[in-house]
Amino acid sequence: MTLPAISVRSLVKRFGTATVLQDIDLDVPEGKVSCLIGPSGSGKSTLLRCLAFLEEASEGMITVNGEALGFFENAKGERERLPAGQIRAVRAQIGMVFQQFNLWPHMTALGNVSEALKTVHKVPKAEAEERAMVQLAKVGLANRAGHYPSQLSGGQQQRVAIARALALSPKIMLFDEPTSALDPELTGEVLNVMRELAAEGMTMVVVSHEIGFAATVGHQISFLDQGRLLFTGAPSEIFAKPRHPRLEQFLDTYLDRGASMLA
Amino acid sequence: MSFKLFSLLVQASVWTIGISAISIAIGFLIALGLSAALLSGKALYRKPAEFFISFFRGVPLLVQLLLIYNLLPFIGLNVPSIVAAIIGMSLCTAAYQAENLRGGFESVPKGLIEAADMVGFSPRQVFVRVKVPIALRLTFPALVNEAIMILKSSSLVSVVGIVEITRMAQDLASSTYMPIEIFSSAALIYLVICWAVALAGRFGERSLPGAAK
Amino acid sequence: MIFDPNVILKHLPEIISGTGVTLALWIAGMLLGILIGFIVATLRRYGGRAVDLPLGFVVEVLRGTPFLIQIFLVYYGGPFVGLSLDPVPCGLLGLSVYAAAYYSEIFRAGYASVPHGHVEAGECLGLSRLQIIRRILLPEMALIVLPPSVNLAVILLKESAVLSIITVPELTTTVSAIGSQEYAFLEAIFLLAVIYWVIVEAAARLGRLAETRLSTFRFAAS
Repeated sequence: MTLPAISVRSLVKRFGTATVLQDIDLDVPEGKVSCLIGPSGSGKSTLLRCLAFLEEASEGMITVNGEALGFFENAKGERERLPAGQIRAVRAQIGMVFQQFNLWPHMTALGNVSEALKTVHKVPKAEAEERAMVQLAKVGLANRAGHYPSQLSGGQQQRVAIARALALSPKIMLFDEPTSALDPELTGEVLNVMRELAAEGMTMVVVSHEIGFAATVGHQISFLDQGRLLFTGAPSEIFAKPRHPRLEQFLDTYLDRGASMLA
Repeated sequence: MSFKLFSLLVQASVWTIGISAISIAIGFLIALGLSAALLSGKALYRKPAEFFISFFRGVPLLVQLLLIYNLLPFIGLNVPSIVAAIIGMSLCTAAYQAENLRGGFESVPKGLIEAADMVGFSPRQVFVRVKVPIALRLTFPALVNEAIMILKSSSLVSVVGIVEITRMAQDLASSTYMPIEIFSSAALIYLVICWAVALAGRFGERSLPGAAK
Repeated sequence: MIFDPNVILKHLPEIISGTGVTLALWIAGMLLGILIGFIVATLRRYGGRAVDLPLGFVVEVLRGTPFLIQIFLVYYGGPFVGLSLDPVPCGLLGLSVYAAAYYSEIFRAGYASVPHGHVEAGECLGLSRLQIIRRILLPEMALIVLPPSVNLAVILLKESAVLSIITVPELTTTVSAIGSQEYAFLEAIFLLAVIYWVIVEAAARLGRLAETRLSTFRFAAS
């Protein structure tokens, strides 16, 4: 067993007095696709945002490839904040794809993908754009490089957003409901890109309502409900009996919805 | 009404346009500082900025102009009335533009900042590369509106003796006894200028990089 | 540079009367402006192109020209077409028409903000056009219309100072006259600015209070 890419220990997240994540323990295996599923408000997006350090966990530890993210335990066993430079270095291993794409509207697709290479990593413009083009080609949008986000469909914008994250060669990719903001007919192109990425052995954590994707592409599925991680296992176990009553209820709702869509 | 009278009004419009343009530009620079103070989160900067904005938005421009016109000589600054007019208009528009800019900065979508944060931008880079360009785009329509307001408000500098469109019209009306023709012509000239600015604004908005077509 | 309090005291009756004239002109101009503006917006919505286009043009002209020019046109041009008005009625007319142009745009946006489906639902239930305006459109747009209306009210209050140029005996006229009379013009203008500031702040606070009241009422109702 190799070291997990991300390991979460006793994580608690509170917003004011509300506890949205309670005692989360999770290992994200390297080179595999881990899916977080659960009803709305279960805390799965908040957990993913904690992994990206967009939210700071209230308690507990997160390590990325063995390095502490944001906080570490000092000699006295107290939780202590790491210096900003170190936080940045650990986060550099992580790429994030958002539900709302969050492409910068004043830059072209190429600009969005090459911007961080140029401003953060000081790569010369020509080289940065060359590398950005490679990523755009990978998501099938080389011919849209000069387009602004407002000129692209939702599916295309999300693929550019994936290319933007990939351009920095992250070791881990986080996806926060990447297809939820898309029309149903546009989800396929985004899921296909994600499938290819999974096939290449990218470590991925995906929050999604696409149960089908989770079942076919996911290697590990975690089910969250009311801020607790109730179940983590292989997709095959999800459908196996006996399973957790809350999970059963959740899946029934989804299967019902699927069935009623067919009817 | 003779062509000569009309052309005198058109010539006077150079002053209207000039004073307005300079005031908008100076006002924008002051507004940048004011909005930075408003957003600084430090009461030491925020409070004076709020006080300034409240005063210049709470007092009629006419009264502000009279105040500055009479205040400057009192504190020993004997400047031409055109300078007093520009100072008054700049301070007034700065107060309005500062509120617009603050609104613009506050409505930059949080996700766009998070996306920059995720790819490793420093807070400074987030500010320069993401917040400023997006806030400026968001406030652009309000800036065009403000320019039109200032063009119309500039008619008030006629009270401190600057011969722009309104003062010229007043002088001509009293010497020719043709107030209807003269003031209608003045109105027409204002209308054309305001429409031109609105049109240019719409064109400019569309040609901002990435604007929805 | 502060006014001798005795001077203020001596002229207090005039200052109060000037403030009274400003407030009266402001409120009357605003109410007339709201009334005319609402009628204009409604006519433009239901009157077809033959009504919408000319009214739209007039609104654009009023919004595209300085208030001072409009006032000059009525005050100095009026007598040439048989409309000789004293400063006060001229000021009230000018302020109301100016206000109406801006209020009509606010109401137009208000009408546009109500989803068309809500109107169709009313039509399907057999409500008349007037009933739809009164029972559906007006209540639904109230929340949308209120903030810009408060804003405009404050602008009108400040614009009313312009009426001093045609010698309407309002606040600016009164206080600057006192200043000349007492050889303390700068002090007078300072006092004037402070009085306007206080009234504008009070009006703005009142407006915000109304917005909060209305929105909590709406939340409670929905």
